[in-house]
Amino acid sequence: MNALPRPSTIFLAAITTLVAVLLYSPLFVPIVSSFFTVSHGNVDWSSPTLSTYVALAENHDILAALRTTLIVGVCTVVLSVVSGTLLALYYHGRRSGRSILQFIIFLPFLMPPIISGLALLIFFREIGLERSLLTVVIGHTVFVLAIVYRTVLMRLQSMSRTLVEASYDLGATGWQTFWRIILPNLSSAMVGGAILAFALSFDETMITILVTGTQSTLPVRLWAMMRLGFSPDINALVALILMFTVLLCVLAARFLIPRQMATERT
Amino acid sequence: MNLNTDLLTLRSVSKSYGTVPVLHDIDLSIKDGEFLTVLGPSGSGKTTVLRLIGGLEPLTAGEIRLDGQDISRMPINRRPFNTVFQDYALFPHMTVSGNVGYGLSVRHIQRKEIARRVAEALELVQLGRFADRFPAQLSGGQRQRVALARALICQPRLILLDEPLAALDLELRRQMQEFLKSIQREIKTTFLFVTHDQEEAIGMADRICVMQAGHIRQLGTPHELYYKPNCEFVARFFGENNLVAGKLGPVQGEQRPIETALGRLICSISDQLHLKTAPDGASAFAAFRPEALRLADATDSGNRFSGTIADLAFAGSSTVATVTAGADTAVQRLRLRMPSRIDGSALKSGETVSLSFAPHEGHLVLA
Repeated sequence: MNALPRPSTIFLAAITTLVAVLLYSPLFVPIVSSFFTVSHGNVDWSSPTLSTYVALAENHDILAALRTTLIVGVCTVVLSVVSGTLLALYYHGRRSGRSILQFIIFLPFLMPPIISGLALLIFFREIGLERSLLTVVIGHTVFVLAIVYRTVLMRLQSMSRTLVEASYDLGATGWQTFWRIILPNLSSAMVGGAILAFALSFDETMITILVTGTQSTLPVRLWAMMRLGFSPDINALVALILMFTVLLCVLAARFLIPRQMATERT
Repeated sequence: MNLNTDLLTLRSVSKSYGTVPVLHDIDLSIKDGEFLTVLGPSGSGKTTVLRLIGGLEPLTAGEIRLDGQDISRMPINRRPFNTVFQDYALFPHMTVSGNVGYGLSVRHIQRKEIARRVAEALELVQLGRFADRFPAQLSGGQRQRVALARALICQPRLILLDEPLAALDLELRRQMQEFLKSIQREIKTTFLFVTHDQEEAIGMADRICVMQAGHIRQLGTPHELYYKPNCEFVARFFGENNLVAGKLGPVQGEQRPIETALGRLICSISDQLHLKTAPDGASAFAAFRPEALRLADATDSGNRFSGTIADLAFAGSSTVATVTAGADTAVQRLRLRMPSRIDGSALKSGETVSLSFAPHEGHLVLA
């Protein structure tokens, strides 16, 4: 960068700032306006207040939706981490069938959610499974499985094969090697994958709308609120969801990026 | 502990990966308590030998016997051998003492006993102060010693070392060579050490097994390999050597002449039946070490020929002269190593000199 002449550096900085402002400033509008009251569709900028958050806390529909979201999220995380890890372990170092499996796992993640959702909906109807939280959990798991699988597989691939050999060489059984060597070395990848899976499940809207029964998750609830008109507690809800999602992503990065567990611990 | 009994025997062991053969019909006996080095260039199959013995790979054919018992199909975790891996393979999530004690804790030995033996093993490799560190906080040489402690704590019959010094710098490698040798003397366990570095092999081994292209070329003491190589590969691979091609002449007692571009050279064939029985006229090489070649004086009765100094290289304690000799059609480049002198070499580049080596310092290898 130092080689560039000064005017171009300034120009590039200006462009970068402009792009950043255009892309990310809309995110701050609901956060800021959540601290002000809204009357007749206009934000009253004169007096900052927490009243929107109070209103949100008293909204039982929202609280119920939050509980539903958390239940779905936890179930999805457990299911996807267990099955994603098992799949990664099974297909690690195995050539045959791996690319087909990866394609299948990634398909729901890459397809438009409405297609995945419709496919699931048709499937559930065909096998006679009532739409409920169970179908939502299945839908979310299918959607986030790719992330967990990929994260764990990458860690497995970067793990030296000699670690496992050394364990056997020192007299350990397959079971001991799994619990004492493989799993501890995968754990941070599994935690990272779990956090990402939870964040994805938390935000997922389209598939959820299609396969849910009578209960709605937070994003679905938000969708419904939007249709009924713009109310101030929406701002508060958006702000909270945004902060929570950012927090999860930061956490996930922390678990996925540092590879030296030793230095982490001391 | 008896150096004359075989601990481990490989009998016509072969190994292929798919259709690619990497080891052909290997026969090898490892004596109890010895330091055996398997030496070879990369791709010679030396690491495969170690992996077969350790049980990390199945045999394609043949058998491995421990104390006379066939262990070819014994699973890796039941073999009384432990390996020091090239990348050390320390468990990154365990402390040094966790790593060293692993082999004991998977056998459900009592914690107290494990702690005692870990402390003992760490003392042996001089890492007592580092027990609570993680591998990432150690230097290369320290990791190496942790890997060694982890391997020897289970009191294996045989310790397998897969190029463990390859990742260390020269000075540290020298120290670790001495260290390994002294540990081996102290615990009196058999070491099987794989390396591609012949200096390392000469310095440490009781016996060396030279491998090339999946075959064992020669097995013997460093002295035997150096002075009596049994084939061209070993003669060239193991230390610096001068090889001059020619045809064998008739046997004369313990010596045999060879007709070469440098004239008739007489070489020793003592105790080597294959050199005695080779037919007259067979292709062979006269092999003589650079330090055996010297400037001839008038009374010298050895193999004499004249040559031209092409280059002189000062190498500290010795000076190496590159000499061209022989007729125009078959010029031989030879090396001559002589002690360096403080007042400089008496030789000059381009000078023609008379050279010789004694028959008992010359050796024959069949082509």
